Amino acid sequence: MIGLDVTIVFVSLFLVFIFLGFYGKYWRRGNLNHVHEWSLAGRKLGTTLVFFLIGADLYTAYSFVAIPSGIFAKGSLYFFAIPYVMLTFAVALVTMPRLWTLSRERGYITASDFVKDRFGSKTLAIMIAVTGIIAELPYIALQIVGMQSVLTVMLAGSVNSQTVQEISLLIAFVALAAFTYTSGLRGATLTAVFKDILIWITVIVVIIAVPISIGGFGNAFKQVNQSYVTLPDSLVPAYATLVLGSALALYLYPHAINGVLSAESAKKLRKSTALLPLYGVGLAILALMGILVYGVPEAMNFLSGFPESTRGILVVPSLILFTMPGWFSGIALLGIFIGGLVPAAIMAMAQANLLTRNIIKEIKPSLSDNSEIRITKISSTIFKFIALGFVFTVPATYAISLQLLGGVLIAQILPAVFFGLYVKSLRKLPLIIGLLVGIGSGIYMIEAANNFGPLSSSLFKTYFGPLYIAVIALAFNLAIAFGGSAILNKSAIRQKKN
Amino acid sequence: MRADYVILALLILIPSFVSLGVPIYNREYPELIGLPFFYWFQTLWLVASAGFYLAFTHIKGKEQ
Repeated sequence: MIGLDVTIVFVSLFLVFIFLGFYGKYWRRGNLNHVHEWSLAGRKLGTTLVFFLIGADLYTAYSFVAIPSGIFAKGSLYFFAIPYVMLTFAVALVTMPRLWTLSRERGYITASDFVKDRFGSKTLAIMIAVTGIIAELPYIALQIVGMQSVLTVMLAGSVNSQTVQEISLLIAFVALAAFTYTSGLRGATLTAVFKDILIWITVIVVIIAVPISIGGFGNAFKQVNQSYVTLPDSLVPAYATLVLGSALALYLYPHAINGVLSAESAKKLRKSTALLPLYGVGLAILALMGILVYGVPEAMNFLSGFPESTRGILVVPSLILFTMPGWFSGIALLGIFIGGLVPAAIMAMAQANLLTRNIIKEIKPSLSDNSEIRITKISSTIFKFIALGFVFTVPATYAISLQLLGGVLIAQILPAVFFGLYVKSLRKLPLIIGLLVGIGSGIYMIEAANNFGPLSSSLFKTYFGPLYIAVIALAFNLAIAFGGSAILNKSAIRQKKN
Repeated sequence: MRADYVILALLILIPSFVSLGVPIYNREYPELIGLPFFYWFQTLWLVASAGFYLAFTHIKGKEQ
């Protein structure tokens, strides 16, 4: 059972969070009945705010749950998240300022807007919107799993813990839905800054205090085997392809592009992107908690009371609870809790934009601006509750595996979105076929790699060793997109000659 | 002008090469405050890459 001090700090900070969310409406006031005002905060966020907003996409439950949990259970392989962060901003620096500039000129709100305009294909644009919406769903579910892990640790040993947990999540989501409905991206941005301050305080204190209290990192590393110290040779290709595939995929997610397009200028966008690898340092610290926890016997003892499959996701909150004073745990745990809520809001908003602009409006072009913004607001609320319902009905470990599948799917829109920015020779038909083949082969490989059972691996055994499936499927996809375009262009030239 | 492009490309490619070149950092020693090389090297490179990217941004900004 936790002390009263933890609960009091946790609840009071949560109230501050809700206040900030609603206050967002009055901050840098704009007409929130316009789509670009509501979902892109009027496209006027500066370097610092874009830094925090896109940083919020990095410090999600993925960093608190999936990565430390993977390191705790499997070892060094999951540290791939660190070089991935380093590489993803190189990708962003090359692609995103160009997408920003085109979007400002032509009024795009989503990547799908760009693709429709660039290739003149409704089919391709709708396919890209649908892929984005589907890939985002398990990502939101993962955020909720992260929030659940905080509540599970806080409520351990109390009566009716399951019911209390579900009610708490429901309250948190109703509050979140209410303030995103009224404040849009402004509310999400303000709360993102608040959340990141709490998280930074947490990681800095933990990385100093915990190694000191257990007598140095060395003592934690003594408790684990060699596959936690360095990477086994057989996993080197897996590590490199996980880095590559994840780095290519991050800026294809609708919520990341949404953050990018809210920047005030391409220059400010570049500057904040250049600084974002610093965020990864916090992620590295969280990842190391998956090993540090082995040096804290009280935390290990507490974790052993849970089934093996769910221990990993509880690592970070339990390590904090067993090494920090109560009031500080309250701050840190709330930081992780809203660390799931803020990204969930941004993700649902990005899904809603895709659904309204790129699917509903395509089918019914007469949609008025007023209806467009109303449908966007309502569907962003619905998407949040779909994810919540998903978490209530399926086990937590499924959310993590589906997130793996989401990564494989979203990587397949890369040829149209990234190469579409620079390569003139690409044609729509090969892009459509490439996307379908990429998605089909990706799903098949991920099923085959897991023997058509529950998903736990995203690596496919090949001649070169196990490789990240997103990368293999993307290679097929790119070959078709470029090869097919080359053939079409050649035959077009020949026809002209005749 | 051409020299600028080479520098810009290098500022992006060097950190990319380091992040994908796993054998560069897949070793245990030398340790730093008890952390194996594998962990501290990659973490420090995050800071270094921000330096590379800032230089990229700076040169790009002058260009326009």
